[in-house]
Amino acid sequence: MEIKQTAIAGTLESSDIQIMLSKGQSGIQIDLESDVKKQFGDQINAVITETLKKFDIDNVKVKAVDKGALDCVIKARTIAAAQRALKTVDQPAWEVL
Amino acid sequence: MYESIVDLNLTNSKVRAKWQAFLKSLGIADFSDREVDQIDFTIGIYNGDDLVATGSAAGNVLKYVGVCNKGVTTGSRFNAIVGELVNRLFQQQIFHIFVFTKKRYSESFQHIGFEQLGDTDVAAFLEMGDPNIHDYLDGLPKVPNQQYQQIGAVVMNANPFTLGHRYLVEKAAKQNDFVYVFVVSAERSLFTADERLKLVRAGLRDLDNVIVVAGGDYMVSYATFPAYFLPDNVTATDYQTALDARVFKTQIAPALHITTRYVGSEPLSKTTNQYNQALKRELPPDVQVVEVPRNQDQTGAVITATRVRKAIKAGDLSNIIESLPSSTYDFIKENLHELQSRIMKGMNIDGN
Repeated sequence: MEIKQTAIAGTLESSDIQIMLSKGQSGIQIDLESDVKKQFGDQINAVITETLKKFDIDNVKVKAVDKGALDCVIKARTIAAAQRALKTVDQPAWEVL
Repeated sequence: MYESIVDLNLTNSKVRAKWQAFLKSLGIADFSDREVDQIDFTIGIYNGDDLVATGSAAGNVLKYVGVCNKGVTTGSRFNAIVGELVNRLFQQQIFHIFVFTKKRYSESFQHIGFEQLGDTDVAAFLEMGDPNIHDYLDGLPKVPNQQYQQIGAVVMNANPFTLGHRYLVEKAAKQNDFVYVFVVSAERSLFTADERLKLVRAGLRDLDNVIVVAGGDYMVSYATFPAYFLPDNVTATDYQTALDARVFKTQIAPALHITTRYVGSEPLSKTTNQYNQALKRELPPDVQVVEVPRNQDQTGAVITATRVRKAIKAGDLSNIIESLPSSTYDFIKENLHELQSRIMKGMNIDGN
């Protein structure tokens, strides 16, 4: 699936993560900013990548600012950002959830 | 504890007074109309009756961000305010956001996803969103083996393009393998950004080693840099020109392997002269600055775009035909009424 417009989801509050998706050419490129990147960076990237793949998004630039989000939050924010970026907000992708 | 974010209506004098007093307590002193009038919306957080955090947006620039951390985790209110500002701008389809701030706050912004474009002793300039500076630089035309070539650069507003501009570019083209000509993209001039870019392209078409590109958001937009947060002893022009020069030095020049920047000597405009001085101070040794004396027309008068604009206002093009390439002259002749009506509507023609 193609990214139709740049989109953002999430906040910068503690325990949340802000995900921004924009058009990309070369795969899923994640730029992660997190205080716990050293400990959990790989896991955060894996959750984002896995969620995007369920939407068949292959080429996208991801900017993620993590404030200590749990996996379920990362997933939820990624789904919200993806649906906004694909302009499919009015057709929630239940099977992805 | 969750604190809710509310809209602040600055046209309400009571709200405005409280907002101003709060920011003053944080060391922001400039509330001149020039800065405040541009604000599109302002948000804040109250604790009881006290304002404890605020931030504003003007176009795609965040302004007047101020936070009191008393009694809460450091950073939480700051993150809430900036996060909300960013989310609202995205809802308005504004995906590329800038902030100019005191140097000591740069790190706070970087911590929440902003990237620093340049900084000086007092100020920093950051962006977030897309397309960002890397997208801009990636999108510029390149030549093969650019890192082994001698690359020069000229930045111009070209309002409009004259033979003076051409003289400067010709000099640069002779001394380099390739020359980038950046045309300032900010819309604050009599000629629109598109018109200026088009006329520069037309006037330089015959020079094979010249690449004309739009300056995007990153070139000599110093006139639009907000300056309200600066201490009184730093003049706005000094900081704006220095910051602009740093962006060129740390971002633009290395990416394009630019080693020399050419500027025209500036006998007439004080601001432009200050800008030239700032470039000479900031760019070396990474980038050499070559100041080329102004070209003169056959009568010995210095060619300036200001004179051309005055002639347009007066409707008498006979004096400026010598100063212009035919492409610019023809364009002015064809669009004289349109240009004059822009001046009538209040477009300032005395600037740069």
